[in-house]
Amino acid sequence: MDLNFTAEELAFRQDIRQWVAENLPADIAHKVRTALRLSRDDMQRWAKILGKKGWLGWGWPQQFGGPGWNAIQKHLFEEECALACAPRVVPFGPVMVAPVIMAFGNAEQHQRFLPGIASGEVWWSQGYSEPGSGSDLASLKCKAERVSTSSGDKYIVNGQKTWTTLGQYGEWIFCLVRTSSEGKPQTGISFLLIDMKSPGITVRPIILMDGEHEVNEVWFDNVEVPAENLIGEENKGWTYAKHLLAHERTNIADVNRAKRELERLKRIAKAEGIYEDQRFRDQIALLEVDIVALEMMVLRVLSAEKSGKQSLDVAGLLKIRGSEIQQRYSELMMLAAGPLARPYIHEAMEAGWQGDLAFPNTLLPLAGTYFNMRKTTIYGGSNEVQRNIVSQTVLGS
Amino acid sequence: MDFDFTEDQESLRDAVRRWVDKGFTFERRHALAKAGGATRAVYGELAELGLTGLVVPEDNGGLGQGAVDAMVVCEELGRGLVNAPFAHAALMTPALLAGAPEAVRTEWLPGIAAGESLVVPALQERAARYRWQHVATRATQTGGAWALSGAKCAVPAADEADAFLVPARVSGADADTAGIALFLVRKADVQVSAYATQDGARAGDLRLNNSTATLVAQDAFALIETAVDVGIAAHCAEAVGLMDRLVAITVEYMNTRKQFGTTLASFQALRHRMADVKMQLELGRSMSYFASLKLGEPAPQRRRAISQARVQLGQSMRFVGQQCVQLHGGIGCTDEYVASHYFKRLTMLEMTLGDTLHHLGEVSARMQDTAGVFA
Repeated sequence: MDLNFTAEELAFRQDIRQWVAENLPADIAHKVRTALRLSRDDMQRWAKILGKKGWLGWGWPQQFGGPGWNAIQKHLFEEECALACAPRVVPFGPVMVAPVIMAFGNAEQHQRFLPGIASGEVWWSQGYSEPGSGSDLASLKCKAERVSTSSGDKYIVNGQKTWTTLGQYGEWIFCLVRTSSEGKPQTGISFLLIDMKSPGITVRPIILMDGEHEVNEVWFDNVEVPAENLIGEENKGWTYAKHLLAHERTNIADVNRAKRELERLKRIAKAEGIYEDQRFRDQIALLEVDIVALEMMVLRVLSAEKSGKQSLDVAGLLKIRGSEIQQRYSELMMLAAGPLARPYIHEAMEAGWQGDLAFPNTLLPLAGTYFNMRKTTIYGGSNEVQRNIVSQTVLGS
Repeated sequence: MDFDFTEDQESLRDAVRRWVDKGFTFERRHALAKAGGATRAVYGELAELGLTGLVVPEDNGGLGQGAVDAMVVCEELGRGLVNAPFAHAALMTPALLAGAPEAVRTEWLPGIAAGESLVVPALQERAARYRWQHVATRATQTGGAWALSGAKCAVPAADEADAFLVPARVSGADADTAGIALFLVRKADVQVSAYATQDGARAGDLRLNNSTATLVAQDAFALIETAVDVGIAAHCAEAVGLMDRLVAITVEYMNTRKQFGTTLASFQALRHRMADVKMQLELGRSMSYFASLKLGEPAPQRRRAISQARVQLGQSMRFVGQQCVQLHGGIGCTDEYVASHYFKRLTMLEMTLGDTLHHLGEVSARMQDTAGVFA
């Protein structure tokens, strides 16, 4: 057992750190550091910088143009990006759909889709949840009917997806669609890639309680999708989607961002004169312990992945704990601002906003972030669903 | 970075576990506890396994092993609910004697390594709680000879020990960190009043009245803090073993016990509780590793890390213990059933060498701008 990174790992980290310092645009880092609104351009600018370096698909194997890093290298890369205040890479393309295309797509699909994902040129969205299918995702109804036409086989898609994060920017969407109503609900689902410029697709904003447009409804009205956009076999989509979930293991805990936000919490608490208040400070200390414990758990998983000697089935725990911690730091930051968390000035979320305030405008996003973070224990499999999964593992029944 | 155990460590774990399975059944443990908690014979069996010399330097007759080896042993002793004072006598005492003059080391360490001498730290004073600088016991020197006067409470295995390592004040006020020295006092030179403990072992109070003492270290506060941290890391590991086994016992019970015509394991309210228990267990295990792996760091980082670990373990111990009793229902509250004994040990452990609130205060006072495993 050794807690320390090897000399090679430390050198790797140093290389990443230097590269990020030289290539992350300062205006974007400033927005992330102070939780200001990121534009589509901000997110894609950073994605393309990473793409040019070959690191947007940082988890990809070399055969698909990725760097071929091991679990620890990936973690170090994510950590350096987070600590430098790089925006989170929008995961739908490089982290979510790409591994499915690699594992289950054919060679033609590899050539067609992976380069646009790797470069950051093409914006992907995720079409999983539906109004009637949240935690019970397998009950989804969005229907894809296969028809033969003179120009080849097509799917006709009808239905609705919802909670589509940043779908307003989406150019392509990967969807779970129902291709059969026979057998168990899981067995009639297929994995379809859909061009969002197709006629019949409507994207409507859902404004969340922080006042921001982050998620959308996506409607499909007789949308024609060429059959060659089906990944793998028809009715096997559920298996592929589960593969995708398995690819989001340690990343989902987001412990690197939590460390960065803990630093920010301390800065805010100091500036607001509450860091020396013992009752408040102890709450920060508890959060600090929670974050160190989560980081240790993440490192245990990484080490197990690297050596292959132990199997650690704690993905559900990482999701539960990581999301609880995200909520907690956002809550404490808001509480640190106290009465000054109350003003709501929508324009103040833009960088460069000059308002006439008698207090720092860095306090303005805090309540909104707290409101926004309520989603974290709900999305990606609610924490209650995660507890079902964990208990299954522990109880073996 | 690597969290795998070596083959030697796995063998060590197996050896302790085999002894527990064969030689330290719950029936034996229960009988020992009922008879007052005497464990000298058990300690002797640990010595036969070579465990009492685990961290004693090879020059002094020990095996010279490290913190992770000690952690492995403590996990297994926890799993087996072993009530011998291993952490205090076999880990903290060698840490304290690391600061002793060669003569003292040569006289005592081989016997300690062999398990022939049982020497335990006697740190606790009535008013100190977990502030180890609070030492009211006084040391005076007459000619070349030291004598101690004062009292120490809740000293582990007090009436079974051969000698004690006793902090006493040479100078300064009761709560100064300076002016504390460490002494070795033989049992014959103190008055011991012993008692059983809630968790099935023994402890006792020492009254020192001009008791003859041997100087182990001057300015010993940093040494005492180091040894306390060694003890805390050991207790973290013991707690992991206790929790791991208690959870396994509870899982088995939930899969067997039926109510409303079906097993307890089929009720979602209970399943979710078990998921929360598993969370606390794995966070605790993670931080137990953290504690042991940070023992070699410079004092400020080590102290902060140990308290961070102890806050997590304190929360884990409390939650896992309470919930596993709850998940059992009435049987969990009985003396005849094993679960309550794990619960009581976890409960007492949480108050040993600093409770959760104490260590939260330490973390709070030691916070830096940055935090994390490597901060």
